[in-house]
Amino acid sequence: MSEPGPSKGSAAQAEIAALAGAIERAAGDLSLAEEPSNFQAVLEDGAPRD
Amino acid sequence: MTDLTLVELASAIATRKVSAVDATQACLDRIARLDGRLHAFITLDADGALARARALDADLARGVSHGPLHGVPVAYKDLFHVVGLPTSCGTKTAEYFRSDRDSTAVARLQAAGAVTLGKLNMTELALGPFGDNPHHGNVDNPWKAGYVSGGSSSGSGSAVAARLAFGALGSDTGGSIRLPAACCGIVGLKPTYGRVSRAGAMALSWALDHLGPMTRTVRDCALMFELIAGHDPRDATSSRRPAPAVRAGLEGPLNGLRLALPENYYFDGVTAQVKSAVESAARTLESRGARVLPLRLPDPAGIVDVCNVLARAESAVIHSRVLRERPHELGAAVRARLEIGLHVSAHDYLQAGRLRARLAREFVDEVFGEVDAILAPAIPEPAPQLAAVTAGAVEEIVRRMGRFSRLTRPFNGLGLPVLALPCGLSADGLPLGLQIVGRPFDETTIFRLGLAVEQALPRRAPRD
Repeated sequence: MSEPGPSKGSAAQAEIAALAGAIERAAGDLSLAEEPSNFQAVLEDGAPRD
Repeated sequence: MTDLTLVELASAIATRKVSAVDATQACLDRIARLDGRLHAFITLDADGALARARALDADLARGVSHGPLHGVPVAYKDLFHVVGLPTSCGTKTAEYFRSDRDSTAVARLQAAGAVTLGKLNMTELALGPFGDNPHHGNVDNPWKAGYVSGGSSSGSGSAVAARLAFGALGSDTGGSIRLPAACCGIVGLKPTYGRVSRAGAMALSWALDHLGPMTRTVRDCALMFELIAGHDPRDATSSRRPAPAVRAGLEGPLNGLRLALPENYYFDGVTAQVKSAVESAARTLESRGARVLPLRLPDPAGIVDVCNVLARAESAVIHSRVLRERPHELGAAVRARLEIGLHVSAHDYLQAGRLRARLAREFVDEVFGEVDAILAPAIPEPAPQLAAVTAGAVEEIVRRMGRFSRLTRPFNGLGLPVLALPCGLSADGLPLGLQIVGRPFDETTIFRLGLAVEQALPRRAPRD
């Protein structure tokens, strides 16, 4: 069974490359302390105070 | 009887003015009459629903109530597992998703007395905003034949709007509750990420999936939300916050609430009718004491890129087996979208996750330091014709999908609670949709604002 995937030069390849570039530019100055699981802490911290 | 709202029906059953069997039969009659056109159901469990309704009537006759939904007929998007019924997830495979337990959200509704009518149609694998499905039929818009019902919770939107069910559950990874709610003129809630357990429902993206209620009124939506919200040890992302009593806060004052009308992005490319309806809703809220101010929101481009990387990578992993073994069974656009995810690198995936945390923190600090909620359109135009948006090359269809869901997608990345509800009708009689975005875990405020908007508008329903 061959691995499915877009052919070389396809719009899909271009989309992935564009996304990777955008993420890399935006993430370049992330601090060492930033990790994905911080996301849920942000939500908990942002909740209204009772 | 199907003209009653979910809350009104629950009250009528509780006071024994109406039986659960009569309510269930009324829904089944409408399904028999209308679902040939709408294609809202994938699996109808008429015998199971009537048997359950009879048992609930018998219980009530001897003084036993199962809860606030005792005898109320509802239905579930066909990615929620219900023991004894197949879960196709909109694919060609009848039992695509298997589990030995009900999904937590379904179990909680059933424990509150709900009657399960069946499982609702959806876009294949929840990938797509238009409501088309090559295996189970395209879900039609109850307001106008041949128009987009919205996806991916298309059957949920159509069934509730057409009064085939009193409420439904949907899922939202990029707008899939809010888009059908807006297209079909009903109310849909994407809760805060972590608020409603996702256990027992098919995942499309662990980072972005949210499950929520879809109903005809804000009060109905608030009741269903209260019942399904709250911690669940079966879902590792589930918040430990107690389920909120949002109904107790529905009638609260709007005085002092500050609301943002975005100055950037959310009105770009939006039709004049949609813009006018959202601004009218803002004036309604202002007249009730809220303060509405223009506000420039953080550019959503960054969080949308994050969403695209997370969603593509995770969906390709979750559905790698069908992609590897039976790709010919998938629709062309769905397959194309899944295949892209096979090429996302681990580096980019993890960077996107780290970036998401920072962008969410910046958004919450900047925006909710200024306002309590945001008002924005849910869809950029009234529902378009289905044939027009699903014609042409796959790349063009995928681009149209992106444009149609551009207003809802950022809030999946941010994890914020969003209520979608009708805010008027277009000149040719199609619903216009508003979304109200709240601070994390503040569903109470957006329900209160939604109720005020709803109360200012005439109650409308599509004609059969």
